[in-house]
Amino acid sequence: MTIPAVGIEAMNVYAGVARIPVAEIFTGRGLDPSRLKNLMMTDKSVGLPCEDPVTNAVNAARPLIDQLPAADRGRIEVLVTSTESGVDFSKSVASYVHEYLGLSRRCRLIEVKQACYGATAAAQLAAGYLVSGMSHGAKVLVIATDISLVDDRSGYTEPAMGFGAAALLIGTEPRVLTLDLGAFGTYSYETMDSARPAPTFDVAAADRSLFTYLDCLDNCFRAYQDRVDSADFGQTFDYLAFHTPFAGMVRAAHRKMMRDHARGADSAADFEQRVGPSLYYPSRIGNLCSGSVYTALASVIDNAEIDDGARVGMYSYGSGCSSEFFSGVVDAASREAIREMRISERLDRRVTLQFDEYTRLLEGSLSCLVPDRNRTIDSEPFLPLYAKSGERQDLLMWTGTKDYHRTYDWISTPGGTDDD
Amino acid sequence: MTSIGEQLSRDDLLAVVFESVREIMPTVEPARLRPELHLRDLGADSVDRVEIIVTVLDWLGLAEPLASFTDLSDIDAMVDLLYRRTRS
Repeated sequence: MTIPAVGIEAMNVYAGVARIPVAEIFTGRGLDPSRLKNLMMTDKSVGLPCEDPVTNAVNAARPLIDQLPAADRGRIEVLVTSTESGVDFSKSVASYVHEYLGLSRRCRLIEVKQACYGATAAAQLAAGYLVSGMSHGAKVLVIATDISLVDDRSGYTEPAMGFGAAALLIGTEPRVLTLDLGAFGTYSYETMDSARPAPTFDVAAADRSLFTYLDCLDNCFRAYQDRVDSADFGQTFDYLAFHTPFAGMVRAAHRKMMRDHARGADSAADFEQRVGPSLYYPSRIGNLCSGSVYTALASVIDNAEIDDGARVGMYSYGSGCSSEFFSGVVDAASREAIREMRISERLDRRVTLQFDEYTRLLEGSLSCLVPDRNRTIDSEPFLPLYAKSGERQDLLMWTGTKDYHRTYDWISTPGGTDDD
Repeated sequence: MTSIGEQLSRDDLLAVVFESVREIMPTVEPARLRPELHLRDLGADSVDRVEIIVTVLDWLGLAEPLASFTDLSDIDAMVDLLYRRTRS
């Protein structure tokens, strides 16, 4: 049997309709501005009280579904939502997403959780399924979707956490990223570096999380080398796209890897060349949890020289912890596919919030995972934000719960009404 | 595995740590460097702390997981850990 190529056929990132400059949060919270230099971020996306993990997932995936011919839509045989923002202990986010994307009922639904690594685990398992011959020509939709639960209790994590989702259509016509099949290295063990023990707050040990991320990167890459003869951190990959809790962490990770695996090279120049393109979007959005590494990949595809083909080394890390280094190839067709999603333009058009507007929105957003039996969310106050954002696609809004059943509604955005 | 730090005393190791702090954070006054402080007390954020520890390990030729440095109470405790590891 010939093993087909497999990878990402289409991909989109949805990062909300609102943002706040990170410096505004530093000022508003009285954080030390000297810390900005290692954060290396400009903006973060901010959710609205009528947005939740379901709306983020649907709003990220809808453009991919809309552009698929009906016959191909029917070939989506598995829908996976990867989230650490579950809305129920039993009922998956995927069940709602399946409904609002209008996918075939001949589809498996599943939700996975492994902090910021879940989507990569799902994508790799999907790739294995697709090349196995079990269902020739099938497609798997993997959506990494989350909301953030940070506020004034969160210290320097607050400015780093983003809001949104990344949707990946995995299949055997991999226009966006062709996976290097069999080229991967994984590393996992139990540690308490960060967690979400309840629906209203996270706990995080900053040093443990950072150190574990870095230890795992080194171990994953060594495991990758065990599978891939002659893999060389400094030479094998034209670009690098890492899980990006904040861009400064990726810079520290790159510097350490260069010390350990490419001693003697000009680390700073290498960072600009091979890592820089992956950070444009993450530094304007913030951490998207398991969608973060794919936001970094989209950033490479949109911003790097890839037209003649380029290999991207990718690192996915999820607290707790599980992690993977893997790779794939992108080219001019990848750029064409990602440009159709207008990610950069949509990021530019997000409404810029003042600090007091931001804190008012937080009050409404932080309870979004709390399982109220009945709740009504008045979306009226937020409609001007949608209008101002200039989104051109119809977006799903969360309208509340009725006997624990979450309810949603579509909003038609006029698009292009205001340049903010 | 033997390391370059095997012959170093605790005072030598402390000097390596302080030198690494000065390399990563050149604006810290030398007079502020005291073993009973945590790197955090010197104004090192989490990225600075990583850079300092990586610099120390690099200097000593040690391949110690960074996670070992998570719960150390102060620079003195870091030197204790380094002393043990350079002799193990």
